[in-house]
Amino acid sequence: MQLRRDHVAGGVMLLAGALVLAASTDLPFGTLASPGAGMLPTVVIVLMSAFAALLLLNAGASPPIGAIAWTDAGHAVRVVGVTAAAVALYIPFGFIASMALLLFVLTFLVEKKPFIYALAFSGGATLSAYLVFGTLLNAPLPRGLWH
Amino acid sequence: MEATTLDSLALGFSVAFRPDVLFYAFLGCLVGTLVGVLPGIGPLAGISILLPVTFGLDATKAIVMLAGIYYGSQYGGSTTSILMRIPGEAASVMTCIDGYAMAKRGRAGAALTIAAVGSFVAGTMGVILLTVVAPPIAKFALAFGPPEYTALLVLGLLFLAYMSSTGLPRTLLMAALGLLLGCIGIDVMTGHFRYSFDIKELGDGIGIVPVAVGLFGLGEILATPSKMVSEKVVPPRLAELLPNRQEWRQSVLPIARGSVLGFLVGIVPGSAHIIASFLSYGVEKRVSRTPEEFGKGAVAGVAGPESANNAASTGAFVPMLALGLPTGPVTAVLMAALLIHGVPPGPMLVNEHPQVFWGFIASMYVGNLMLLALNLPLVGVFVTVLRIPYAYLYPLIIMFCIIGVYEVNHSIVDVWIMLIMGVLGYLLRKFDFDPAPLVLGLVIAPIFELSLRQSLIMSNGNWLIFVERPIAQALLIVCAVVLGLSALSLLGKRRDWRAKLAQAEAGDGSDRG
Repeated sequence: MQLRRDHVAGGVMLLAGALVLAASTDLPFGTLASPGAGMLPTVVIVLMSAFAALLLLNAGASPPIGAIAWTDAGHAVRVVGVTAAAVALYIPFGFIASMALLLFVLTFLVEKKPFIYALAFSGGATLSAYLVFGTLLNAPLPRGLWH
Repeated sequence: MEATTLDSLALGFSVAFRPDVLFYAFLGCLVGTLVGVLPGIGPLAGISILLPVTFGLDATKAIVMLAGIYYGSQYGGSTTSILMRIPGEAASVMTCIDGYAMAKRGRAGAALTIAAVGSFVAGTMGVILLTVVAPPIAKFALAFGPPEYTALLVLGLLFLAYMSSTGLPRTLLMAALGLLLGCIGIDVMTGHFRYSFDIKELGDGIGIVPVAVGLFGLGEILATPSKMVSEKVVPPRLAELLPNRQEWRQSVLPIARGSVLGFLVGIVPGSAHIIASFLSYGVEKRVSRTPEEFGKGAVAGVAGPESANNAASTGAFVPMLALGLPTGPVTAVLMAALLIHGVPPGPMLVNEHPQVFWGFIASMYVGNLMLLALNLPLVGVFVTVLRIPYAYLYPLIIMFCIIGVYEVNHSIVDVWIMLIMGVLGYLLRKFDFDPAPLVLGLVIAPIFELSLRQSLIMSNGNWLIFVERPIAQALLIVCAVVLGLSALSLLGKRRDWRAKLAQAEAGDGSDRG
């Protein structure tokens, strides 16, 4: 049997439903006259699993898993990695340092733009955003190292 | 229109013409146009990112500005469609076909004007219909109790699934996932912590902003490498901005049809503005005496869909304002914005906050005029914005996403949730799932759970409460009909309009209409 897109999608959703159900054991279902905190989650998990099973049943009509184009995956992984690093540094390093780094790494290392352009862009854009949000709109942006 | 409606509208205009409200309407329209123009950032991401900016404003100014972004983006989306053949946002997909063909024939200016005038007429007609329709529906909805609301929310989800181009099981699966995410946090009726895994920030539940920004803003960026974004613009000849007499004549009826069709589709849950533009294109092609011109620069192919998507975005406000029911992710975020400002949308809104309700409606009349004035003379400025290379643009958008999400609760956990949702949004696209029902499920989860549990408590656990009350019964009958229709199309495997819509959204130009 050829593995198809909806075999994977349906299987993952079924597994997710089972995991959430396992994490719901401490939630009381209650009774119909007095529903507990676990009633809606349980009903929703059952429905979700039913739709996932339906997807699995009809998976034969979906394209083979190999037909999904992953040409953009490299870009996505790089962007997620850089963004995750910037988020991790956001509070300890503060807005200016973390966002300038984010913009610089994305434009210079990921997009291969000239060093000087990337430097000017990341510095200029970060300071402008700080002026607009932090100064004009009084949004409390994290100051990190400068606190 | 009743005299009381006119009096209320006069009150609304007295609010809308206040200089500070006018300023925020203008700001919303301007930002909305930019959001519509820029590829990779749609109205939902735009509204979500700017939501925290409105926290310092009162409810009227906040909703006026955010709604301006929404309908402004429908105007702006046409610019990239016509000049670059890239839909600035999803509802402009159909405008790409004939708009770009007109641009290649040297009629870019005329196409932009027709799109802007069509959007203006449809937007204004939509607001007039909203003015007439919303108050009586709100009055009727005062008779709704928990069972009626439960049935209405189920109907909303089923309609969304029926209208979706990705199919019933996939849409309902996403809605269920959204409902499940909406269960995270403290249960308001019993005080139990659900799925918070000792992370105290999850006690308040998962906010709509990190989820929406992640799924729609970041998810779109992850799926769009810069080398895939064309920066080729067909510059409009501003001297030829005005359409000729024949082009005006060809656009009158499509604008009228698109306005009515768009408003009606807009009321129904689903990605209304996208569906409306697709249906309008199909209708125009069908009624045209020269259907062979469609795809080669037919004026009706621009006028109809552009009018329809604007009217639909106005129509979507009817259930939101009158029933407190979001019909899509954008209205869900707008509802969240009103709730943050302590103004619950729904039937009580007209009576309890008339200044917000009527001020908002009146501001839409003014906003449509502003957009007409903005979009034509400033088209050159927007073209310049389009020339910003995507390699510089998307890092900026990511920065704004981080700022926007963090500023809602000053919580870094929210930013991590946004990042996780971005990855989820990317994967969902790969597996052909539409993330919109997930957002809708997340928003309605607390309302749905509360009404369901209240209904069961009211009836002492008797499920029959949902069929014994006439309004709830009628709504459930409609639910059954919608389910039946969905089952029929599933069994028949017919290639209906939804399959064609999916094809059009995927960018396949063949066999449209």
